[in-house]
Amino acid sequence: MSKDTHSTVLFDALGPKGAARVRSASITSGVVFLALIGWAVYKLSLKDFFEQSRWVNPLDIMIIENAWLPALISTLQAAVLGSVGALALGIIVGMGRVSRFMVIRGIASVYVQFFRAMPLLLLIWIPFTIDGALGTAGSIGLDQDGRRLFFLVLGLSVYNGAVLAEILRSGINALPPGQAMAGRAIGLRHGQTMRLIVLPQAVRNMLPAVLAQLVILLKDTALGFAITYPDLLHESKIIGNDYPNSFLQVLLIAAFVYFVLAWGLSKVVTVVERKTRRKLPKGTATVTASMPGQTEAETITPTPKP
Amino acid sequence: MFDNLDLMVEALATGLLVTLEVTAVSFTLALIIGGLLATMHVSPAPPARWLATAYTGLFKNIPLLAVLFILYFGFPKIGIPLSSWQWAIIGLGTYTAAFVGETLRAGINSIDLGQAEAARSIGLTFGQSLRYVILPQAVRTVIPPLGSLLTALVKNSSLVLAIGVAEASAQAQRLINDNENRFDLWAVIIGVAICYLIINLPISYFIRRAEKRAEFAR
Repeated sequence: MSKDTHSTVLFDALGPKGAARVRSASITSGVVFLALIGWAVYKLSLKDFFEQSRWVNPLDIMIIENAWLPALISTLQAAVLGSVGALALGIIVGMGRVSRFMVIRGIASVYVQFFRAMPLLLLIWIPFTIDGALGTAGSIGLDQDGRRLFFLVLGLSVYNGAVLAEILRSGINALPPGQAMAGRAIGLRHGQTMRLIVLPQAVRNMLPAVLAQLVILLKDTALGFAITYPDLLHESKIIGNDYPNSFLQVLLIAAFVYFVLAWGLSKVVTVVERKTRRKLPKGTATVTASMPGQTEAETITPTPKP
Repeated sequence: MFDNLDLMVEALATGLLVTLEVTAVSFTLALIIGGLLATMHVSPAPPARWLATAYTGLFKNIPLLAVLFILYFGFPKIGIPLSSWQWAIIGLGTYTAAFVGETLRAGINSIDLGQAEAARSIGLTFGQSLRYVILPQAVRTVIPPLGSLLTALVKNSSLVLAIGVAEASAQAQRLINDNENRFDLWAVIIGVAICYLIINLPISYFIRRAEKRAEFAR
């Protein structure tokens, strides 16, 4: 049967009778499921869903060059810049969260509480609107495209910075306290203990959670839609308007591209996770962001036994 | 400053109610589908496990906004016309269900293997050991992450403005773009921020309390 030990303990290795029962149940449900799919495919084909032109027309080489590729590049651009901004903010705020000074801890905590409670959509759209009313971006010479990119990146950074700060904090807290104490005991100062002992280990522990959050950030670039940033989803809707017959097909193609990007990145996360797991001191807890990301709700990694 | 404050408060309050309604209904849907997915994840039948994995992988790697667009703009093209409210519920519910399923499975897996072994060795069946031994313990550990999912859902529900549901964010957008009554920009922004804070801050407070309790319960 399966190699997933956690789920197999719940039932015995099945005897001949049980195995036969499970097999027949599997086959029946499989057949029913396939029949449902077949019925859906039949219904879709009645609506000309699979008609070749509907898929091929919006994938014309001209359109790929002039719409799909620029859209993909815009999405990746926002994702990369947003990740950089979020990491920078996350480190600053996260260090603030574990600061020795109460005032700094307080400010960082208010920042995290506030920005994790707000929808990312509003964090992108409100600064954009305020700027539209005041005209600040225009006065420092940002054109319309640059303005949209700036406010999308700003929203992504501010929001994910708060999430990453929490990950950093729990990464530091997950280390057994003996590590920091040992540092102090051999005469290192607070800053040195942080830099030389705590952070290198904490970063290794929280790397998977950070990367998982960056996958979410990539997906969240789709919210650029709110300020008409020309990302993949927004552009696919425009392409769809040009080919009204292929509208659903175009959206599905866009969703597939997102899937490939996010899935590929999350495979990287899995590999990193496997590599980092071994090298941690005894008694280290697993890092999960206690409040998940916007569209994500991610980082609930199946917790291994303490 | 603060012109038409009563009109603004009224509009935002209506939006807040819609947000709460959408969140509550879609979270219920997500819990039902998520529970089903978690059961499939740990079930003896391989096809059930494959199906649950495929579902989770699909929804975890596609932006929620893309899901909503496919449902609302795409599905009427193949002859499934539903109202924007219904698509909003279905979109948010099915999307969140993938994460609920993962959370519940992690909860089941977090229970010590010995518990499952003990349940099996005193002769309980798969269903009985889940119901009497594993789930009662798992529920306690999954309440904090489920609470986080709920706050995430409250925030995610703002996306349904893109398919024309008039929840809190949509109301704020409408107020700001209203040229007739000239609502004050800052007042609207503060108002809509308060809308989300009064939902989410209490939830995260309860999550923290539940987390503390779960620590002792082990």
